[in-house]
Amino acid sequence: MIKSCYIHIPFCKKICSYCDFCKIFYNEIYINKYLDALENEINKYYNNDLLETIYIGGGTPSSLSLEELNRLFNIIDKLNKSKDLEFTIECNIEDITEDKLKLFKDRGINRLSIGVESFNENNLKFMNRPSIDLDKLKYAKKYFDNINIDLIYALPNETLEILNEDLNKVLDLDVKHISIYSLIIEPNTKIMDLEPIDDELDYEMYKLICDRLSNYNHYEISNFAIPGYESKHNLTYWNNEEYYGFGMGASGYVNDVRYTNTKSINNYIKNEFNRVEEHLTTLDKEKYELIMGFRKLSGINIDKYKEKYNRDLLDNETIKRLLNENKLQIKDNNIFINKEYIYLQNEILLQLI
Amino acid sequence: MNQEKIRNFAIIAHIDHGKSTLADRILELSGNVSKREMTDQILDNMELEKERGITIKMNAVRLNYKGYEFNLIDTPGHVDFSYEVSRSLAACEGTILLVDATQGIEAQTLANYYLALENDLEIIPVINKIDLPNADPEKVTLELINTFGFKKDEIILTSGKTGEGVDKLLDAVIEKIPAPKGNKDGKLKALIFDSVFDSYKGVIIHIRIVDGKLSNKDKIRFMSNNSSYDITELGYTTPKIVNVNELNAGDVGYLCASIKTISDIKIGDTITLDNNPCDEPLKGYSEVKPMVYSGIFPVETREYDLLKDALEKLAINDASLTFTPETSKALGFGFRCGFLGLLHMDIIKERLQREFNLNIILTAPSVIYNVYLTNGDMVSISNPSDMPPMERLSYIEEPYIKTNIFTPTDYIGPIMELCENKRGTFINMEYINETRVNIHYELPLSEIMYDFFDKLKSATKGYASFDYELIGYRVNKLVKMDILLNGEKVDALSMIVHKDFAYNIGKNMVNKLREIIPRQMFEVPIQAFINNKAIARETIKPLRKNVLAKCYGGDITRKRKLLEKQKEGKKKMKMIGSVEVPPEAFLEILDLRK
Repeated sequence: MIKSCYIHIPFCKKICSYCDFCKIFYNEIYINKYLDALENEINKYYNNDLLETIYIGGGTPSSLSLEELNRLFNIIDKLNKSKDLEFTIECNIEDITEDKLKLFKDRGINRLSIGVESFNENNLKFMNRPSIDLDKLKYAKKYFDNINIDLIYALPNETLEILNEDLNKVLDLDVKHISIYSLIIEPNTKIMDLEPIDDELDYEMYKLICDRLSNYNHYEISNFAIPGYESKHNLTYWNNEEYYGFGMGASGYVNDVRYTNTKSINNYIKNEFNRVEEHLTTLDKEKYELIMGFRKLSGINIDKYKEKYNRDLLDNETIKRLLNENKLQIKDNNIFINKEYIYLQNEILLQLI
Repeated sequence: MNQEKIRNFAIIAHIDHGKSTLADRILELSGNVSKREMTDQILDNMELEKERGITIKMNAVRLNYKGYEFNLIDTPGHVDFSYEVSRSLAACEGTILLVDATQGIEAQTLANYYLALENDLEIIPVINKIDLPNADPEKVTLELINTFGFKKDEIILTSGKTGEGVDKLLDAVIEKIPAPKGNKDGKLKALIFDSVFDSYKGVIIHIRIVDGKLSNKDKIRFMSNNSSYDITELGYTTPKIVNVNELNAGDVGYLCASIKTISDIKIGDTITLDNNPCDEPLKGYSEVKPMVYSGIFPVETREYDLLKDALEKLAINDASLTFTPETSKALGFGFRCGFLGLLHMDIIKERLQREFNLNIILTAPSVIYNVYLTNGDMVSISNPSDMPPMERLSYIEEPYIKTNIFTPTDYIGPIMELCENKRGTFINMEYINETRVNIHYELPLSEIMYDFFDKLKSATKGYASFDYELIGYRVNKLVKMDILLNGEKVDALSMIVHKDFAYNIGKNMVNKLREIIPRQMFEVPIQAFINNKAIARETIKPLRKNVLAKCYGGDITRKRKLLEKQKEGKKKMKMIGSVEVPPEAFLEILDLRK
């Protein structure tokens, strides 16, 4: 049974400098055709599984008009939802209005993921994002208890002081969940020619973050939650479980196939989803289990792994060595990366896969 | 052809003085190659030769000019290959000494002039590139008169570019260069002056018939080892191949005889007839010995056999390249290779990479040391890691060279400073004219291994030229320096250095390694040791970050691909103990251009 579903809304009113997600400028004509195609895609591929999480991401899903949002929710209504469904939508601050918040609430949204990225004016200018209206954030809290705030650090010219100020502000807001990412300079973005900041500083920033957010459960490399508010949807990814991905450029994992939809709006609205598929062997699945599982600070459950792949992780020579070197640790039958080394996760994975 | 109508000659010159371009004009003027067929510098066959503008392997070409048969034998222009120059000169009666009208006499002009004298050749002095705006033929004429004692009226002015003066030069070849004086009715004596491997014909042997005649039906015998072969093909090049039935005394040409390996052929050997051999061989030349040794290792162990094949193929056409298997604790299985000099080494390296697509590591080049032991024995060592332990050593000798450095007087200071820093001993300075000198220093050969050429070039804005001759071995305070990476000795990085310079070399070495080796998950100390004593240390700070902060929505395939790309990069690394070292670490330390 597939229990999670991702829905991609690629439209944005403004393009952020660092963003390499699948996005296009907001355009009314395209949106209706896009929603038609989305409905078709869901009808074609959805198998009536009982869903425990739905995540509407983007782009900027909140940039849609009330009417368009209603249309979107009508489509989603056809999905079979568990009664304790985690239902998230990504939202920009400028879209936080009474009307939209009410609509979200009415249509079942129970988790809001707000893209703040930074409170610092220079950082925001660099990212091509508008200033932060703190009142709006506080206003959103009146409607939603379960709020995530997205932040980005390690921006050019950022100092530990600037980051610390961002952390002060986010802690003041007292939200249930914080995702905080080190800037990735991607090819084909406006900032592609930029040099990343010094690793040493980046690492210092990460340590500062872990330190300042100590009241939260640091449960994944870049994610912090008040216990009980960990993102169920994202845990689906990290637990290497299957999920639907609908919409242009969306990725999913269904029946042992990982796929990514077309990134062309013109193809998508013609219902040409052109999925690029990766058919997984058991060995591939094991690789993904390690790649994703070791993102969690709690790591991988040894029993569950054995059950899934009929293999004991503790028999693996590399794992034995890494345990010996104290790069991996074991607790409660979970094997996980020593927190000291979590920022070197790739180095450890490279030895394992 | 009557020997009276044959002229065998070579062109000798300092690098870039226009030898190959002049050869092209000569070919064109003698009608051998039509204008349409001309690609620039026909005699330079190899891609690398064209790129570097130097001739590595020589070629012989036959031309007809005013009823005469000219055999033009090309020669390499670099100091590493002076051995090859001398062997092509042995096939000639005369030579054209070419000097650039904008540069004047340079180091290899002098070296080549002496080679020609040793071979008793008639020398025609030529000043080339007179078409250039900054040409100063009068000044260069004076240099030629003062340095070599030429007379003003025997110096010919040419332009390889426009062809001016080339006809006069060819007339001078007829007038001044003596005809061969072999005994055409005598027993066959032919000199081997070059050999090339061809995958269809086997070994192609370039010969000069001194006495007698050779027919394509003959069975030949090599005088050095008495092995005999039936000739399968006889001919010459124009540069097109022309087959003939016969070559006679005075002729230059080639022969094929189904010879599979080049090592069966000794350059300088005498060929005679199997059924009617001559009594005495011609005076050959001494065998060439490698001067510089380096280890070549495949980055990936499984490429060992490919590397072996490639070296065998290169050695087929390059008798001066030697190689024997070598095992390094750090680098695994590879070969200890001997080269004529650094340029030779660099060319082999590039050919292995370019023509054979191999991913290789070269270790620092080393000269041959004479190591005397306390028990009175002497061992020759070309690999620092073979150095016997300290307590068994009595003393060590290293090879020395004497330099010819031609330079405008403006740069005497910087050159002397450079040579002093390279443990040089000043001998004297000869004035070529009032603005140019030839500086003589004695230097350890090992000191010109690393960056001497480059430093000389930058100290003199490229105006100085350099040549050297070996002058024997000398005792010095030499020690073996070891490099330890994360506490483990890396045998492939060991070097033999002068005790007084060891501290600086060690410091530079560990510093360079710190820059080249990427950060690891742990702190990596790099140390230079002499006799178990650390003389320099640097530390590679531990890697702090290698993580993907974000997971691209659900696009997890992409994350895996990124990891696999990183994994590919790691594969190129060489594990030295627990440290990942990029192969460039070994290359960059000795990169000749830096």
